[in-house]
Amino acid sequence: MSEQKITQDFIGFGLGLRTDHFEYILQHQPAIDWFEVLSENYLVAGGKPRYYLEAIAEQYPVVMHGVSMSIGSTDPLDMDYLKSLKKLSNDINPKWISDHICWTSIHGVNSHDLLPLPYTEETVKHVAERVKIAQDVLGRRLLLENVSSYLSYKDSTMDEWDFLSQVAEEADCLILLDINNIYVSARNHFFNPLDYLNKIDPRRVQQFHLAGHSDYGEYVIDTHDHDVPPSVWTLYQAALERFGPISTMIERDANIPDFPVLYQELLEAQKIAELTLPGHPALSQSSLAPMGAISPMSTNEDLIQDPYQLPSKKVAV
Amino acid sequence: MSQLRQTQQAFMQYLLSAKSDNNLVDIRERVSDQKGISADHRLQIYANAYRIRLKETMETDHQILGQYLGDELFDKLAIEYLDAHPSSATSLRQFCDNLPAFLRTDDFFCQYPILADIAQFERLLLAAFDGAESTRADFTDLQTLAPELWPDCSLRFHPSLQMFSCKSNAVESWQALKAETAPDAPYYQQQRYWALWRNSERLTQFESLNQSQYVLLTGFIEGNDFAHQCEAMLNWYDEQAAPMMVLQTLQSWFSKGIIRELVIT
Ligand SMILES: [Fe+2]
Repeated sequence: MSEQKITQDFIGFGLGLRTDHFEYILQHQPAIDWFEVLSENYLVAGGKPRYYLEAIAEQYPVVMHGVSMSIGSTDPLDMDYLKSLKKLSNDINPKWISDHICWTSIHGVNSHDLLPLPYTEETVKHVAERVKIAQDVLGRRLLLENVSSYLSYKDSTMDEWDFLSQVAEEADCLILLDINNIYVSARNHFFNPLDYLNKIDPRRVQQFHLAGHSDYGEYVIDTHDHDVPPSVWTLYQAALERFGPISTMIERDANIPDFPVLYQELLEAQKIAELTLPGHPALSQSSLAPMGAISPMSTNEDLIQDPYQLPSKKVAV
Repeated sequence: MSQLRQTQQAFMQYLLSAKSDNNLVDIRERVSDQKGISADHRLQIYANAYRIRLKETMETDHQILGQYLGDELFDKLAIEYLDAHPSSATSLRQFCDNLPAFLRTDDFFCQYPILADIAQFERLLLAAFDGAESTRADFTDLQTLAPELWPDCSLRFHPSLQMFSCKSNAVESWQALKAETAPDAPYYQQQRYWALWRNSERLTQFESLNQSQYVLLTGFIEGNDFAHQCEAMLNWYDEQAAPMMVLQTLQSWFSKGIIRELVIT
């Protein structure tokens, strides 16, 4: 095993780019480090979403996140999809490209869901082989994200973390660790989330996801419609301790608040990183700045009247 | 067939027909019994998520159709459409592409042809929204063209341009619901025509056309030249009026930004 660093350097704290926020971002140019874009939303020829994406990608680093590669399916890999991803990546030049370690379609029918795989040697070989092909088409290492799951299969022979690690090792790909998904699956399958973190190779982790979920007591569903809860913040802290500063973003897909509200939540992620890794030089490169703190003219009174005064990109960098 | 493939087939079969117990048996045998909720409940989480996600896509893409139908009929439509047309596209954007055709041919819904018209109109609005970007030509491009070249001149249109035609008051009903007023009862008269496009401010617009304008526009879209289209207008206008009508109509299309470029063949 080579000791050479294969992950990209920390790029700071980002948010998912959502339609509701297009106008706000272009107008206010908030001081945020990067955006994650949902690839499938921009595979159309053009139009309004593409217009905004291209305008925003000119001003901010972006990463591409997909949901349709179906890397674990036993259908042939969708080469047209991979080529369209490649084309989009040529157009917007993302820092990296990710998808999930799951399957979504079979016999050409798409469930549009991130369905769990049985954790077997057979599946490791199958998925790793397909990741290699996808990486060849995309011309770069892919990031695979762990998904939330609600069931497990009788024929699984290993734990999820071993499965993810083995695929990553065999395919020589990278990992997007979704901290919320680890928490959700830990609750649904009764494992210790720290066992998960401790088994993942830090050399391969390039990004974290944070998100909220819906807690039904007996089980938890990954809904991305709530704030990040304390349980996930705590696990995030443990992940920072193990992996160091990792580029982090908050996912919000439903019940989407105004941009400044999400920004405030992202500041919380930054704060936890600074508390967990005090004085780490990488963290000081982030352009995130506390809201209202950038303008020397602003008084407390201003802040009360306009609680969502965001630092703009130009001022804060 | 590999174990993995068998599991995936059984899972998908279950998702596609979660109501029938027959399709539960196969996947149920493959799922572990764990602490906490039952295996059936665990599977049910996936079945619910599948249906909710696709129904939400229908609601988002066809908001006005949903209001026109009301909750009960929209639920019926969602269940039946999901069964008839499982998604085969990578993007949810295409999931409802078959909805107008489904409404036109389904035994129950085909009794109300306006439903397919409203659905089709909403899909064209989405297509205009997603169409590729391109430059737009100006009327002066035509004015500066030597008059002897005009007869051979044809047009290329903005990629967002969509044509729509129906016999019902679908568009009027769509407009009424959009303005949060009650639509008129459905009625069916002579064919009506519409053009939809995304303007230079990136807003989706539509406009009604009379039959001659519709024939003029579709003829140009098909690649006919100016001379050919002037002749086509003789069905409605005399020899003096036809070229004037074409010119005036073109001028308004240029100003609306729907013409991409002039082509001399
Ligand atoms: Fe995630």
